[in-house]
Amino acid sequence: MFEQFLSTILKAEFLFSVIRITAPILFAALGAVVAEKAGVVNIGLEGIMMISALFGVLFSYWTQSWLIGVLGALVIGVLLSLMMGFFAFKLKTDIILAGIAVNMLGAGGTIFLLYMFTGMRGNTGALVTPNTLIPVVNIPLIKDIPILGEVLSGHSVLTYVAFLFVWLLWAVLYKTSIGLDIRAVGENPDAAGSVGISVERIKYIAIAISGALAGLGGAFMSMYYSQGWNSGMVAGRGFIALAAQAMGRGEPLGTMLSSLLFGLAQALRTKVSGLQGVSSYLVSVIPYVVTVIGLVIYAASTMQKVKKHHTKAQKGA
Amino acid sequence: MKKLVLVLLAAVFALSLVGCSQKAATQAPAGGTEPTAKVYNVVSLVNGNLGDKSFFDSAESGLKKLADAGRITYKTIEMGGTDEDQPKWLETLNEVASTGDYDLVIVGTYQMPDYLKEAATTYPNQKFLIYDDNTYVGNNQNVVNITYKQNDMGYLIGVFAANMTTQTTVANINPEAVVGFVGGVDSPVINDFLYGFLTGAQAANPDIKVDTRYVNSYVDTATAKEMGLSMINDNKADILWGVAGLSGNGAAEAALESGKAWFIGVDSDQELTLPAEQAAITLTSGLKNVGQSIIWFFDEWDAGRTYWGKEVRLGIPEGGVGVVTDKNFAKITPKAVQDAVLAAQADIVAGKIVVPTAIGDETNAVIALRDSLQP
Repeated sequence: MFEQFLSTILKAEFLFSVIRITAPILFAALGAVVAEKAGVVNIGLEGIMMISALFGVLFSYWTQSWLIGVLGALVIGVLLSLMMGFFAFKLKTDIILAGIAVNMLGAGGTIFLLYMFTGMRGNTGALVTPNTLIPVVNIPLIKDIPILGEVLSGHSVLTYVAFLFVWLLWAVLYKTSIGLDIRAVGENPDAAGSVGISVERIKYIAIAISGALAGLGGAFMSMYYSQGWNSGMVAGRGFIALAAQAMGRGEPLGTMLSSLLFGLAQALRTKVSGLQGVSSYLVSVIPYVVTVIGLVIYAASTMQKVKKHHTKAQKGA
Repeated sequence: MKKLVLVLLAAVFALSLVGCSQKAATQAPAGGTEPTAKVYNVVSLVNGNLGDKSFFDSAESGLKKLADAGRITYKTIEMGGTDEDQPKWLETLNEVASTGDYDLVIVGTYQMPDYLKEAATTYPNQKFLIYDDNTYVGNNQNVVNITYKQNDMGYLIGVFAANMTTQTTVANINPEAVVGFVGGVDSPVINDFLYGFLTGAQAANPDIKVDTRYVNSYVDTATAKEMGLSMINDNKADILWGVAGLSGNGAAEAALESGKAWFIGVDSDQELTLPAEQAAITLTSGLKNVGQSIIWFFDEWDAGRTYWGKEVRLGIPEGGVGVVTDKNFAKITPKAVQDAVLAAQADIVAGKIVVPTAIGDETNAVIALRDSLQP
């Protein structure tokens, strides 16, 4: 049994699936990172993903262009997050409540939207044609390298975009003035405001980027991963992304690693479930066990950091 | 206040009227002189939305046929299927039951029994029908549970898949006798499909291997797709049966994307509902004919046979379950495989084959069989 298990994971195809599973989580997790940096908790990632997944399919169906579908999903993600921002920053609602509202909209409202636009309910199977799906890219040169080529080449365009965004986001946060503003607002909005930064504007920008990223994650789900939209299809990936952000200490690179960890756990679950005599209940727990372990490590390390900070402060006093 | 009194009065009147009509209905067959031509007033509560291309649409089509034939008048209420909609379900049940306007209230699926039990206890004079669930059989004498012999259907699909997986003349079929089962949740109903599938497959080919995995969700298409791909790539499965609600479609996507496998649908004819490319690789579907079963129920009711407080399990003869035998089944499947399926169907109808069921089986024989056939 163990040998069988090894033979299924010691394969290029296994690592390939890890990357594929990670991509949508990574998009949303990066969205969580940028929002959190500006001190905004975007708990509505799941709902944003659901709704933009739906609109990705709809836009691509209307225009018969996958690119417009993806851009449409991105725009919807931005609009939704700006709406959350409007409620939270302008009307002073609790941002958590605004996020929950978006998630509920994602769960129930999407069926209504689908029906309104297409007269269909449940799923969009009939709308999908090959040119409305995100194409797969074979990278020249790399694709010819044995094993590595099989792992890295042949993913969807958006998969590469997701990993590209890790570096891009890092660069924006740490190498640009807008990134500095975002971090300043997140660290101490009063101080940022006192030096002339428009706190509200920065928060809007951060949550808009967050929504855009979640929107891309949604498009990935419905236009590449599953071919078509069905209700409930995001299945908690937006929440896993929040955990990945927390576990990655809110840094782009750390978040990428923790997202990969979740991807790995999910891929392992797929393989283990194919083994003889393994209970599916136990197997389905694997991703959650990894989450809990990750959060414990995270909590332990933060506590240590706080303790260190505390003793330093005491010494200083 | 005045309005409330008025509504209450109206309700009382309506109730007494229905009381009369019900008495009339039950008395007539006892007289045995003439068949009752009673037109039933029915309400169907859908704990989701129509357009699911599955259970709810099937139930609706059955009701529509009955209504077109002038046998019932009916109304369908879509209650919505999300977590946020759930609180409305009991409320709606109580509301329609309290009016007393309906001869029968129809609900369905595994999500409804708790609400139904409460409503049926509160309104003992209201008749209820629940399809595809048997959680509280006999608990209320005004409820009939209609279930389906998904094990019989599974058997036919098993015979089909096991015969098909060695037909190497067909495209995408490899010589290995391995097929896959993508299940929703490791639960009695899903395992009932599986039990039939395994026994049917084994009967057709004693050396068959069946890769069984559960998605643990009925909506997570992506995870189902991962499992399907793993079955195809790791264990050389070339036919996948998706029995996982919407997740099941992920198995179709896996088969399509790999280009090395076929898909079999469930509950409704999925060739008609999947995207064209996926429909093209769907060989057949196991059917649960909810609509047909409701028609059967009214046939029985008209004939004076009632099943209140009982469970009726409908199989192939009543039209409760079946397999799709046209389109790709007729076009792609070799004649020998088609014949094997039809022969198995005839044997089940004739009682020559009795398919074991996983429901209420304390020995968990299906689990042992499942593990022994896992590649």
